[in-house]
Amino acid sequence: MAESEAEVPKAKPRPIVRLGIFLISHSCLFSVICCTAGVLTLLLLPVLAKNTYISENALMPGSANPMFSSQEVSEANRLVKSLTSLDSKPVGSGIESQRLIAEYMSDLGAEISYHKFYPRSNQFHPLHFFSYPDSGSTRENVSCISHGLNTVGIIRAPRGDGKEAIVLVTPYNSLKVGPGEALSLGIAYSVFSLLTQVTWLAKDIIWLVADSRYGEYAAVNAWLRDYHMPVFSGLSALKAEICPVSNVHNELKENSVTERKINDGFRRAGTMATALVIKVTDGSEHFEDSLSIYAEASNGQMPNLDLINIVNYLAVHRQGLRVKVEKMRSLINCKWLKILGEILQSLGHVAKSLNPQWKFGIPAKDYVEGAATLASSLYYQALGVPTGPHGAFRDYEIDAITMEISSRVALNNKARKNDFLLRGGRLIEGVIRTVNNLLEKFHQSFFLYLLTSPSKFVSVGVYMIAFALLVASLPVVAASLYADAHKVDPSFGIDKSTPQASATDELSITPRSCKWLNAAKKVFLVHLWGAVVSFLPYFICQIPSCTPTTSFVVWVLLSSFSLPILSLILGSSFSYGRPSQPQKRDWTLLKSVTISAAFIGLCLMSVINFATAEIGALLMVPMCLMAQPLKLDIRSRKLRKFLRVACNLALGFLGFPPAGFFVLKGAFEGFGGITVGDFWSWLESIWSWSSATYLYIAGWFERTRS
Amino acid sequence: MEPKEQSKEKKEKLWFWNWVIASVIFRLVLIYFPKNLNLASRPEVSTPLTSLRRLAEGYWLKQLSMSPYAGSMYHGSPLLLSLLGPLTVKRIEGQPDHLLCSLVFVIADIVNAMLIRATGQNLQMEYTRSLKLLDHVKLSEKPEIIPSGDIAALVYLWNPFTIVACVGLSTSPIENLAIILSLYGACKRQAPLAAFGWVIATHLSLYPAILIIPMILLLGYGTDTPPRKLFLQRRNVEVGDNPPNDRCCEREEVVHRSEVPHVFSWRPVIHFFCWTSLWSVYVLVLCGISVKQYGGLWELFKRTYGFMLTVQDLSPNIGVLWYFFAEVFDFFRNFFLIVFHGNILFMMLPLAIRLKHRPCFLAFVYIAISSMLKSYPSVGDSALYLGLLGLFVNELADMQFSFFLFCGYVGVSLLSPVMHNLWIWRGTGNANFYFATAMAYACLQIILVVESVSAMLNHDRKLRKPLTELQDGKN
Repeated sequence: MAESEAEVPKAKPRPIVRLGIFLISHSCLFSVICCTAGVLTLLLLPVLAKNTYISENALMPGSANPMFSSQEVSEANRLVKSLTSLDSKPVGSGIESQRLIAEYMSDLGAEISYHKFYPRSNQFHPLHFFSYPDSGSTRENVSCISHGLNTVGIIRAPRGDGKEAIVLVTPYNSLKVGPGEALSLGIAYSVFSLLTQVTWLAKDIIWLVADSRYGEYAAVNAWLRDYHMPVFSGLSALKAEICPVSNVHNELKENSVTERKINDGFRRAGTMATALVIKVTDGSEHFEDSLSIYAEASNGQMPNLDLINIVNYLAVHRQGLRVKVEKMRSLINCKWLKILGEILQSLGHVAKSLNPQWKFGIPAKDYVEGAATLASSLYYQALGVPTGPHGAFRDYEIDAITMEISSRVALNNKARKNDFLLRGGRLIEGVIRTVNNLLEKFHQSFFLYLLTSPSKFVSVGVYMIAFALLVASLPVVAASLYADAHKVDPSFGIDKSTPQASATDELSITPRSCKWLNAAKKVFLVHLWGAVVSFLPYFICQIPSCTPTTSFVVWVLLSSFSLPILSLILGSSFSYGRPSQPQKRDWTLLKSVTISAAFIGLCLMSVINFATAEIGALLMVPMCLMAQPLKLDIRSRKLRKFLRVACNLALGFLGFPPAGFFVLKGAFEGFGGITVGDFWSWLESIWSWSSATYLYIAGWFERTRS
Repeated sequence: MEPKEQSKEKKEKLWFWNWVIASVIFRLVLIYFPKNLNLASRPEVSTPLTSLRRLAEGYWLKQLSMSPYAGSMYHGSPLLLSLLGPLTVKRIEGQPDHLLCSLVFVIADIVNAMLIRATGQNLQMEYTRSLKLLDHVKLSEKPEIIPSGDIAALVYLWNPFTIVACVGLSTSPIENLAIILSLYGACKRQAPLAAFGWVIATHLSLYPAILIIPMILLLGYGTDTPPRKLFLQRRNVEVGDNPPNDRCCEREEVVHRSEVPHVFSWRPVIHFFCWTSLWSVYVLVLCGISVKQYGGLWELFKRTYGFMLTVQDLSPNIGVLWYFFAEVFDFFRNFFLIVFHGNILFMMLPLAIRLKHRPCFLAFVYIAISSMLKSYPSVGDSALYLGLLGLFVNELADMQFSFFLFCGYVGVSLLSPVMHNLWIWRGTGNANFYFATAMAYACLQIILVVESVSAMLNHDRKLRKPLTELQDGKN
């Protein structure tokens, strides 16, 4: 009976098992095919991009005629003029401009409050990854001397209940108001003044005039933090103790006619549906007025695609602006990309001639542009640093973008300027009116996407294919290596007909199943070391008065010392000189465990931040697959093996320096305290890149050791 | 030779204790970072039943002389409330909150590990003895027999799930303590202890009630042995083998002795039942006293067991029921409640018949199944069955897919917080993301149970093989 049972599975395994066995036995071929397919699909993404469409029916963009008229333009001009005249005056400009804006706001009947904040240096903290942005614990780092002052104006909606709001943000430097900043303030003011009169408003409007003296992001972030995390009396008393309350408010209230309208407290207006950051630059464009959209927030998060769609639709179809998103300029003139684009174009033509239904060819120029945009989209998402003050909103689940409007010529001509203000104002009015229609939060459209042009996107379902193809080879290779390691086992194939053989079989079983545990221990050790290395900067930046160079040197030294210490503590045996056969088996097991760890890591990363995972996979997958013990290769002096060694070393060098460079850059900026991006993103990027680093290092070590 | 071996043994013992102490230190270090880790609010760690925060709330209500079950916050036992409740209120200046409770959980974990170790030593002794009886002398004397008790204890102590459950202020270490206590008592055939453990475990979390079958088998037959058939076969071989002479009587005796543990002895079982009824009356009286003002025992049952069985709280956890019952139509709800809970009961009998010679392993399988299908599972339950899995290292040495399972557990336990973060904090994901990891986790548990059972049956087959061949050779 036992024999028959043993024979049954041999007879015919199920098709899925056979498929698995087939894949595992041809793992080399399979992995090569998968990797090439993955890279090819990545290159094909601009072709596969779909046109955007507005997915939420409630939005109805552009269905109403704009009410923004030349009257509002003259209002804007009035503010701009008085701001520039204020700027020409030498004294006390910092508070003066704020008071001016507040006066203008209160003339419109808005609620006004000032928000004082202290810029804080960004701290890198290792344990904050999964917790929410915290309220109190980083308050120690405030410097009392320097503070910024945001001015906030709120219009209560006649049809609203005060539970929802739309935010307009105009960052400007209060010490020196540039012409572009003055214009952006003017546009925002004119829209604001229009919105005080309209009857259709269902959401409150908050106009945040952010003081960008210490960076645009810091000001917006400080306001958002105080908006969402109310400070209760105990803490505020503490704060008052730390920093003696300066009498800014009193200063501001002096001479103010509209004293009654300015509130001491922090004004709120419910949850924010959307935030629009408005900026104006002038004179740089050659062809026509244009609008640049910046959307990348921290950690490669994007606002809902519908928001970009609305802005794009209104700008192109209503105001005739040219909409741009960031591109990688260096790629546009790239030769091979052009050639690839032409090949794809001709392929598309051929396909069209075969069957007119097939329309996947796009012009070569479009392809190159799409690829450049896609590359920059990937780059900024992978970097994890927000591209503007809108990034602060995403941490509180608010969809936000930065709209940078730029005009064709310098705005000296009055009529030109009025026209520009009119178009900008109408665009913003249209966006606000559209968002005002929204019944819930933005949820209908995509959150996970890559842009290839303002009106084309690649959704998560498509770009995941490229990634999945790239990493699909990893589990298969790991499985085949694991199977190999067991096949090499000498006692495995022995016939078990006699009790003695059974006994020896039993003897060999126990170590066999535990062997991978040993390999797993080594990999765990190296990963732990990687984690320690990536957490070290936090402890190093606690050391006071340290220049970036010395702290970097300390970091390198500590990390190189920590490996032997760790291995000592955990009692891992770094033994050499074992017989060749088990050594090889150990090696295959080790590689299999390393590859599976890399696979798990990459899959996790792809959920957190796709772009990082994609770039990491491009670097790491070939590396993991090619990794071989150096010693064995060098011993057998053949040309092929030598080539392989050379390949490995080259890949190792290719993989290591960028990671090293990036971590170095991150460390420098972190230590210098000049990081603009929030430390979340830095933590994230450093963490992710270090994970890549330590996987490389894992590969390196194992290779050089054995 | 002997002193060398002794020193080696000593060294191994020292090694074991070093790791135990290291695990305690590691826990204490983690206890001092409760704010940063924020483990107590993770849905994987604290469920509505095991959360200490809810217990503190219940205690607060009770202090205000209100029913601790008012407001659907607390759903645990009133005994736990009066044991742990005072500790939740006591604060020591400059120390983290709930320090005393954390210390209690650490102690519970250590006691758990020690009990697992003792059970493992018992099992291993029995294993060696039965191998000797089956004449696998070579096997039993080989040095490779792993001290499964030590391994299991260390696996339990160093399992990240255990550490997280202990540091994350969930009461699951205490629940696990009751379960392990009952298993230990049954292995040692101490009916009062086993009954006490079983009654408390059932009282605390209800699902361990199904462990009564392995308890009875353990008390009746003794601990895990190879199937009874093998011993009979062995006897046949020997009886046929030996010519009738003086040694025959000796052999007979040996064989009879070998059969002794396989006769079902009723005495300890009846003892067990007596003690069980005694303890349950005792527990019920205590509960009755403590909830007398608040609606009596019926209210208690409704608020605790009723809450467990009807799955009222649909907040996300690592199980699969919350999602299902959030989606299901209300008029099917009762039907599916019966189906899901019946599922556990349906699997009990077939498994009990197939694995009746290995009651400890049967208990492991039951715990794994119930922790997969229970209404509010947490990682503390997984910690328990993964620790018990370590008891069967020798038998399950050639389990298939062990590496795959390991990778799967690592992957799922890392993916689950990430998905939760995407869903709750970032807003880019949704409930399906998190539920996907819960399903993957359930699949992993199913694979683990199926593979471990089949590996155990294969092991029994392997033990039979030489006997069959011996018999065949003679015939």
